[in-house]
Amino acid sequence: MTDISQISRKGASQFRRAIIDPVNITMLLLLAVLAYLVIWPFVQLLIETLTWGQGDRRISRQAVPGEFTWFHWLQATTGPLSSKMLYGPLVNTLKTGVAATILALVAGGVLAWCVVRSDMPGKRWLQPVLTLPYIVPSFAIALAWETVFRSPKVGGQPGIYEAFLGVAPPEWLSYGAFPISITLAIHYFPFAYLLVAGALATIDSQMEESALISGAGRLMTLRRITFPVVAPAFVAALILTFGKTIGQFALPFLLGAPTQFHTVATMVYANLTLGLDSLAFVLAIVLIGMSLISIYLSNRFVGNKSRRFETISGKGFRSRVIALGGWRWPIFLAVAFFAFMVGIVPLILLAVQSVMLIDGFYGLENLTPHFWTGRSNPEIAFGEPGVLHNNIILGATWNTLKLAFISAIIASVIGLVIAYITVRRAHNPLARALDQIAFIPFLFPTIAFGAMYLTLFAEPVGPIPALYGTFALLVLISVVSRLPYSVKTGVTAITQIGQELEEAAELAGASWTMRFRRIIMPLASSGVLSGMMVSFVGVMRELSLIILLITPSTRVLMTVGFGYAEEGLAQLSNALVLIVAVLTIIGELILMWIGKGKMARLREKQS
Amino acid sequence: MSKISVRNLTKKYGTAIALNNVSLEIESGEFLVLLGPSGCGKTTLLRCLAGLETPDAGEIIMGDTVVFSSEKNIMTPPGKRNLGMVFQSYALWPHMSVRDNVKFGLDVLKTPKPIADERLDEVLGDVGLGHLDQRYPSELSGGQQQRVALARLLATQPPVFLMDEPLSNLDARLRMDMRVELKRFQSEAKATTVYVTHDQTEAMTMSTRVVVMKDGEVQQISPPDQLYRQPENTFVADFVGMPRINLIKLSAEGGHGSVYSNGDIQVDIEWEPGCSEVVVGARPEDITVSQEPSPTAEDYEITAVLPNGPETIIQLTRGQTALITRVGHDTALIDGQTVWVHFKTQALNVYAAETGALISREAVTI
Repeated sequence: MTDISQISRKGASQFRRAIIDPVNITMLLLLAVLAYLVIWPFVQLLIETLTWGQGDRRISRQAVPGEFTWFHWLQATTGPLSSKMLYGPLVNTLKTGVAATILALVAGGVLAWCVVRSDMPGKRWLQPVLTLPYIVPSFAIALAWETVFRSPKVGGQPGIYEAFLGVAPPEWLSYGAFPISITLAIHYFPFAYLLVAGALATIDSQMEESALISGAGRLMTLRRITFPVVAPAFVAALILTFGKTIGQFALPFLLGAPTQFHTVATMVYANLTLGLDSLAFVLAIVLIGMSLISIYLSNRFVGNKSRRFETISGKGFRSRVIALGGWRWPIFLAVAFFAFMVGIVPLILLAVQSVMLIDGFYGLENLTPHFWTGRSNPEIAFGEPGVLHNNIILGATWNTLKLAFISAIIASVIGLVIAYITVRRAHNPLARALDQIAFIPFLFPTIAFGAMYLTLFAEPVGPIPALYGTFALLVLISVVSRLPYSVKTGVTAITQIGQELEEAAELAGASWTMRFRRIIMPLASSGVLSGMMVSFVGVMRELSLIILLITPSTRVLMTVGFGYAEEGLAQLSNALVLIVAVLTIIGELILMWIGKGKMARLREKQS
Repeated sequence: MSKISVRNLTKKYGTAIALNNVSLEIESGEFLVLLGPSGCGKTTLLRCLAGLETPDAGEIIMGDTVVFSSEKNIMTPPGKRNLGMVFQSYALWPHMSVRDNVKFGLDVLKTPKPIADERLDEVLGDVGLGHLDQRYPSELSGGQQQRVALARLLATQPPVFLMDEPLSNLDARLRMDMRVELKRFQSEAKATTVYVTHDQTEAMTMSTRVVVMKDGEVQQISPPDQLYRQPENTFVADFVGMPRINLIKLSAEGGHGSVYSNGDIQVDIEWEPGCSEVVVGARPEDITVSQEPSPTAEDYEITAVLPNGPETIIQLTRGQTALITRVGHDTALIDGQTVWVHFKTQALNVYAAETGALISREAVTI
């Protein structure tokens, strides 16, 4: 009897101790908030597709708003519009996704091998140029493609191709599956490159050398040692790249919509602009399903959790290099040419395009700084003033920087706190749950995530106001979408801080907040700072995440640029995208500089 | 002033038992060393005292305060236990200067600046780091880092010092110097000290008492000389002493008496432990060798001669039985030689073969 009462008394007091622990309080708070911001939106989205909405009375007489129905799913899968709404876009998504992935992986794999394993010259400056297409917004590449291959058949002025060759480019070259696959591949090959280069760099040359010593030939070594070691990472890179391409919205929209070529992602947007919300949400769920399957498959190939996704790049690799001999310079020239074509030419095209008075006429007399410095002139571009005098653009620039800055800071701090909890309370199942919830946004294609927040914050729920149309909502979604990355960065930083450093402070009597402020934060700062910069750049070039949530008062550069592109104001949209591209490149340079500083400090310590 | 009582302390990690019903009384001002092989629970015990681990059952009392009790639901957080600790890795905060590292504890206590500064100068001067106080830990040598950790412990003048293998990261020479210094600071501060180590030389030279642990249980608590002379079981006998003790399993001829043998050798221990199977523990110095044949001694062959600085270790073999003894460094003994061996009967410890426990001579003779 006494035993039982003692046990329960003990349990009660332990419980009391546990709930006044600030770490536990923070953990429960974060769990609740993230559940609301990550899991509930998905449920809400699902419910939305399974109930009649107000607008559905236009479509069906049986519609009773708020009641359960399979109507939207049936409409999407078996209705007369299903091939146009779902199956067509699905096939297009798979087609462009697979083609782009294969191209990106071949290019990325070959380049990774050249940079990591061969003695090709000029690696140091080729590597940053090769990653440029991934750093700039994807839709910069689409705009550059349009600049060259635009066809007046669809409307607007001819592109460079027609201006110089005198013939209109064939339509398949201007719009649709082909240009989308190519531009997607250009945008994503650096991603594949980084993943494969990482895997190649993990190969210890000694493994290969010992195979050589055992008498294996070079081919056998490659077949039995090198490939099996790299294969899982290679397959994972394949699937991850595919998963990324299917969520792309702006790029396929610009190069596909003019000829009614739709992918699932662009269809989500198109349906929302048509007011077919529920149908758009069905497609968003299909998109999430595709993304989940691809990530599940990639995880099965790479058992190692730590390689799930790559966040900070620019790491120096070293392993035994293979002499290319006489091929050294030809290969260098080929790689340099490729890097120039995909990394630099698109930016030059955008820059040139932005100073042409009339699109499509190539001559010195057609050059003008109007789109940068000119004031409103009703004869040019419907009276839109140049970038420097355009209040919309200046406001959008301010919004962009504000959004990127605030989101990056909040995401990093929350990411660090979550990382702290998951590392230090590894045995607590709630801490593990927190880690997993924070990872979930990674699984949502960004446009689908935007759609979720659209449904969640359209109306006030309880104490939470209708955030739609506010800047706060943009910050919220940006922070949540960056969490998987910032938690990962935080975990790396925290794991490097020995538990004893904190225990020593605990013994001195420091409270948890004091320890976090005086020990954890300063020690994690350099890692968190670079993570913050990654988030800053990421938020700045984000379009598909927020495109559905933007209202005129909360415009950012990317959405304004997208708007101009939709209206056919090529010069202005090019100028804007160029600004974003330059800003992101500056961000990356700062990041490299931070990284170098860190390396230098480390070296100092070791000597 | 600050006596520590540990009563029936138990700590489990899942199904693994790290501490099994451990009880200890630590006198005020004592230098108690926890000694044992890795995984024996000594660090867990220290961390339970610090409050960094929560035991599953038992009680810890420091001075007059109960700081942990599973029955009374007391668990005082580490910062409120008024103790200082030196970690194995020193746990110096790399982003703070030496001075800030030492000052942290005073900051927590909200010590006024002039008093804190005075105290810092004093402590840093004491440990010989007065001129390095603006350096960062990464700019210091291992020995200097060790001193910072020590200064950090001393700054707030806690009545209890906890040390977790503080010298294990230093090279052998420095370790010797630091032993002396640690001991000096401890006795000046009159702090009750609990010191974890797996190095028996450290345990022997610094402690007032040693606690030998194995598999989460206390094996013996004794002053160092007694630990060496009278290990209470074969584990302690074997663990303490370098070169190792000779543990020889023997049987009584005819089941009782004072003469024991194993077919190779015969030993007369000169008293009757009343046990037919025993293990005799003979320290290397308890075995003497003579080059002169003697009727009361058995002849052994020398199978190894290992010079070791001031002494030389000799391996002796008779049949399948091998013994270790130590002689002076100027010995003329050579490999393959035959010698005659005497046991210092008074110094031998006798253990029951079945349990490994010491058979007390007094208890038997009374």
